[in-house]
Amino acid sequence: MEKSGIRIEDLHLSFGETTVLAGINMEILPGEFFAFLGPSGSGKSTLLRAIAGFGPAPRGRILIGDRDIADLPPWKRNVGMVFQSYALWPHLSVRQNVAFGLEERRLPKREIDSKVDAALELVGLLQLADRMPAQLSGGQQQRVALARTIAIEPQVLLLDEPLSNLDAALRVQMRRELLALQRKLGLTTIFVTHDQEEANTTSDRMAVLDGGVIQQIGTPQELYDTPANGFVAGFLGTANVLKGQVSDGHFLTIGGNRLPLACPRTGADRIVLRPQNVTLGPAGGEGIVGTVSHREFLGSSIRYLVDTADGQIIVDTLHSAGQTGQETGATVSLRVDSLNAPLLV
Amino acid sequence: MRKILLTTALTLIAGAASAADKVVVVTSFPKDLTDPFKAAFEAANPAYELEVVSRNTNASVSYLQETRGANTTDLFWASAPDAFEVLKAEGLLAAVDVAAEGIPDSVGGYPINDPAGMYFGFAASGYGIMYNTRYVEANNLPIAKEWEDLMRPEYNGHVAMSSPSRSGTTHLTVETVLQGDGWDAGWAKWKWISGNMSTVTERSFGVPDAVNSGSTGFGIVIDFFGLASKASGFPVELVYPSLTAIVPANIGVIENAPNAEGAKAFVEYVLSPEGQQVLLNPAIMRLPVNPAAYETAPEGFPNPFTPEFAPGAIAFDVDLSGSRYTLVNALFDVMITYRMDDLRAAVAAVQQAEAAQEGKDNAEAKALIAEARALVEALPITEAEASDPSFAGVFQISRDKPDVEVVGRQAEVEQAWDAFAVANYAKAKELADQAAAMN
Amino acid sequence: MSDSFQPTRPSGRFTLFPRLSGVALTGLLIAIFLMAFLILPVMQVIYVAFLDARTGALTLQNFQDFFNTNLFRESFVNSFYVSAMSVVFATIIALPLAYITTRFTFAGAAVIQSLGFIPLIMPPFVGAVAMTLLFGRNGSLNLLLDQYFGFKIPFMEGLNGVIFVQSLHYFPFILINLSASLRNIDRSMEEAAQNLGSSGLRMFRRIVFPLAMPGYLAGAALVFIKVFDDLGTPLLLNVNNMLAPQAYLRITGVGINDPMGYVISFILVAFSVFALWVSLLFMRGKDYATVQKGGGGLAKRDLSQREKVLAWGVILFILALVLSPHFGLLLLAFGTIWSFSPLPDGFTLQHFGTVFTQSSQYIWNTIIYAGSAAVIDVILGTAIAYIVLRSGLIGRKWLDYMATAALAVPGVVLGIGYLRMFHGVELPFGLGQMSSFWGLIIVALAVRRLPYALRACMAALQQVALSLEEAAESLGATKSSTIRRIVVPLMTGGILAGFVTSFATAAVELSATIMLVGRSSDAPLAYGIYLFMQSPSGRGAGAALGILAVVIVALGTYLSQRIIEKDRNRRAAAPGTDH
Ligand SMILES: Nc1ncnc2c1ncn2[C@@H]1O[C@H](COP(=O)(O)OP(=O)(O)O)[C@@H](O)[C@H]1O
Ligand SMILES: [Mg+2]
Repeated sequence: MEKSGIRIEDLHLSFGETTVLAGINMEILPGEFFAFLGPSGSGKSTLLRAIAGFGPAPRGRILIGDRDIADLPPWKRNVGMVFQSYALWPHLSVRQNVAFGLEERRLPKREIDSKVDAALELVGLLQLADRMPAQLSGGQQQRVALARTIAIEPQVLLLDEPLSNLDAALRVQMRRELLALQRKLGLTTIFVTHDQEEANTTSDRMAVLDGGVIQQIGTPQELYDTPANGFVAGFLGTANVLKGQVSDGHFLTIGGNRLPLACPRTGADRIVLRPQNVTLGPAGGEGIVGTVSHREFLGSSIRYLVDTADGQIIVDTLHSAGQTGQETGATVSLRVDSLNAPLLV
Repeated sequence: MRKILLTTALTLIAGAASAADKVVVVTSFPKDLTDPFKAAFEAANPAYELEVVSRNTNASVSYLQETRGANTTDLFWASAPDAFEVLKAEGLLAAVDVAAEGIPDSVGGYPINDPAGMYFGFAASGYGIMYNTRYVEANNLPIAKEWEDLMRPEYNGHVAMSSPSRSGTTHLTVETVLQGDGWDAGWAKWKWISGNMSTVTERSFGVPDAVNSGSTGFGIVIDFFGLASKASGFPVELVYPSLTAIVPANIGVIENAPNAEGAKAFVEYVLSPEGQQVLLNPAIMRLPVNPAAYETAPEGFPNPFTPEFAPGAIAFDVDLSGSRYTLVNALFDVMITYRMDDLRAAVAAVQQAEAAQEGKDNAEAKALIAEARALVEALPITEAEASDPSFAGVFQISRDKPDVEVVGRQAEVEQAWDAFAVANYAKAKELADQAAAMN
Repeated sequence: MSDSFQPTRPSGRFTLFPRLSGVALTGLLIAIFLMAFLILPVMQVIYVAFLDARTGALTLQNFQDFFNTNLFRESFVNSFYVSAMSVVFATIIALPLAYITTRFTFAGAAVIQSLGFIPLIMPPFVGAVAMTLLFGRNGSLNLLLDQYFGFKIPFMEGLNGVIFVQSLHYFPFILINLSASLRNIDRSMEEAAQNLGSSGLRMFRRIVFPLAMPGYLAGAALVFIKVFDDLGTPLLLNVNNMLAPQAYLRITGVGINDPMGYVISFILVAFSVFALWVSLLFMRGKDYATVQKGGGGLAKRDLSQREKVLAWGVILFILALVLSPHFGLLLLAFGTIWSFSPLPDGFTLQHFGTVFTQSSQYIWNTIIYAGSAAVIDVILGTAIAYIVLRSGLIGRKWLDYMATAALAVPGVVLGIGYLRMFHGVELPFGLGQMSSFWGLIIVALAVRRLPYALRACMAALQQVALSLEEAAESLGATKSSTIRRIVVPLMTGGILAGFVTSFATAAVELSATIMLVGRSSDAPLAYGIYLFMQSPSGRGAGAALGILAVVIVALGTYLSQRIIEKDRNRRAAAPGTDH
């Protein structure tokens, strides 16, 4: 199958008076697994639906391959969409659901049958083809929705929070299957989620959205290691953001701590410290001084909230059996590995 | 056998060609009457097919008026001559030369056919009192034989009639009494009778229905309702009061009829000796206008051509009736139909007062009762006014004739009458109650 | 419909002659249909109310006359009183039935719900005749009371009779709507109340009933308007001083050119529209019940033995009351002579024989008329529902308003309007005069019953999640294909329910058809019954025909109910609602 990329140029969209998407630009490469990540209400679904052709008409351009699809009705876009609710038609059997799009394309019956079988085979549901949707479990319904979409061999696959209706264990399993399937078909895929772990584990690249604006686009690691702003830093994993200024190869915090930097960036006024980059030591050691205000036992690690002159700092320490760690109220010193910590302007 | 086949074939051919030979008749007559005539007519004239459109008289007239621009009706067939008069006055009837033999000029003093030849009487009807024998027995009531009887207190709540504005035949009954007794005495009679009524029905058939089911004892009806009910097995009887009018039920061809030939053929059939025989069908029971037909009539079947029938029959004045047609209807409705409760209360109060004063000699009470009676009987307009075109015209305003000068609007006039009647009935009740309380 | 549907999004390209999208075209056609067969004919009638009867000039004089006339003012008050009291009594009848069948595990619930529908399909004339025979001044009940206890109860006298008959006839509107609302209430609402210490009747009054209010109000408004506009029952009971009978008497009186009938018609229509609007205002923002979804309805409780006996007692009493007209009808249809006695003198099958030999035409006509009207109704209802709920068409709400306004138009007004408007219009293909063409009866029935079908279709479409349609479109189905393959099949239950209501009530309609029947061979059942009931020997046959009407409609209702039930079961627990 010919792979196509997606290009979105200066897309604006509003519901009546309220602007929901403002100046979206992005390029998704052919065959890429791309995630839209952002908090609830940030406009992810709206953007995805705009690509599929639903919702109010946006301003701007949406190209799939070289084709501008912004003016096409949904049924002419050849964009496969899997809905959060799956949207399986309750009056049609699994087979009829999957065959629907092919029938709309007026394919010969034999071809439809074989394609439906192939799609169901792919998601491992061939033996349930004659059931009604109501007779399936949540995971099975989700696979039918997927099979129904890929059966039409769309140019791109759009998934809106496809895993959110599944329980935790199934969610992990399904996201692996999804990825495997995507790799196998090589489909350009957009995956909408509000769960950074889901985005991290599946996507080649992702776009972080907030308030209808793209905050940053990049691979999961790029975004984690070099967040463009505090929102991205905070949204991808836990972050301690300390204020201060760069001076003399160091970051001088407002609390008066000097943190060494490998590549100091002039003008930066915040530094992002990940919890695992901070080590907790007994009182009197070198580093930032603080008091443990709260501790949480997480199993593999213990999380401490430490009050310091630079505000509260979150520290994760690995836990091994038998250790007790610090108590609440204890005075501690925090040693910081700040050399490669991201700086924010 | 061959003959049957031949007839069938002919019928089929006729049926195939029937589009042109359909005779459409608008009628107020029930199925019981139309079905036998349809069957008999089509058997006698296989070339025609009779299409029956059933509507009550008033709706039929409205229908013919509304549809005059593109008429599809060939015939109008109904009891009330007044309705034919209305149609005739509006030019909706055609003059047709019909061949009929053996039918006299008049029955019971009423001319059978329209002098202008626009409609023809085919059956005679008288008006009578129909009663339910079980009801009468259970309530220990004497049989009312004359209109006056129905005014008596013992009939309070036992009488029913329909409104003249709803039923052409009832209008004739009302008008007959008005003509026979005179305007004031006639209305007084109707008010006292109405004071005894349990109901004034909206459909003329509502009256025989109420008597048949026993929900009321006596009904003022056109004769065939009583005769046919009895023939159907209901425990009812019919008596003709001596003051009655024998009025023909009629048929007329509509102006501009699509099938004028067929219309004429049906009229001629209805008036023929065979057609007249159909009237004696037990479900129909109407009086033929051809005296010869009575030779085969069942025992006891009334014959209006005999001198002993309804000795008090009056010569009904169609022109007088026509000149105040809607006015009489409106007056009846305003004073009686719509104010039934007030009238009943006043009449009952007078009846009770009279019963209380029975055998006593209280002059004051007698004066009060007389005053109350006068109030009940009082009329808002005189007979002369009722026939004055500038007044009666209020009820017949038509945009077709804007030049007719009239004095007011119907709603205005009716409101005045209504206020008049309500006040009088209330006052009458008050006076009668006073009289009843006296020693 | 073809693939000519255009995307609803603006194409951005400028065209000199913009091609109407399929949806817009459909909307336009429906609007034209409603204009031609509802709005304009009604205007034709009520417009006369503004004319000087003599000069034909525009005037408000007639309205002044109306308000100056005591009789009309009283009629208005009487109509209002009767309508309000009918709502009260209909509520008293419907409330226990709805409550018991939706709140408790009750063996006969389905049967009771179905029987509760039957009173709506009582053909006119026969109902009142049967009721008079049972409850009238000398009806069975009063004859027995008089014989054994020496008194009578005036059930059927005057306004009382109208209220009695109307509440028995129209209570199903409340029953149906209230039951549906009760079933839609989220279980957690009730559980929360119980959790906070509320229970029993108190909880019902404070939590359940307010939540069911929108459904109740919808039903009550319908009852009010129907009673306000109905003229058949008052006329049959010979009650004249109400508005609808006054309008009828004045419009159909022979030779009368009295504008008052038209003034009253105008006031009837205006007041009904007003009542409809008030009920909508009341319901706005109160539609909580449908907001909560997927709660599976209120929890059903088992009844204790004693409660069961009590519940059955109440239900049997109510059923006996509301089905008494049908019982009376049965007696009439099988009885020989029934006169001034508690029961007919004897029993016979002869009336049915008469009906079968003479009247199969009426039955076929009815099935064709009511069936076609109901088909038109569900098609229009589905289309309007789709346009109103799913399209961005300008003025789409007005389609809904126009169609619903048919509720406020008395049948006679529509009938007369058709005669005025379509008389003289010659149809092609030798179909003759439009005003006497039987097709017009179908149109009249369809217009009169459209509001019922429309409400059912609206409710059905609201249940279909938007994503189900979007899924189809994203898989390549055009709008028309989506409607045909997804939307309509998913609405099946609601569409069928609409079909049944339209069909059942159209099958016994008389008020508009009586004006439009061009010839007996075109007459429907209700008209046939009317004809039979005009002659002494026809009473039994008329009743037999009435029984046939009830049986046909009841069978149709039962079958559709089965289909709806199957459809509902198949989709139970189906996915498709968004979170
Ligand atoms: N139909 C709508 N009408 C008005 N506002 C809407 C509509 N749908 C979504 N929005 C608004 O658009 C914003 C983005 O919504 P959405 O794209 O659904 O967010 P996400 O999927 O990221 O949670 C939200 O603020 C929401 O309130
Ligand atoms: Mg979303």
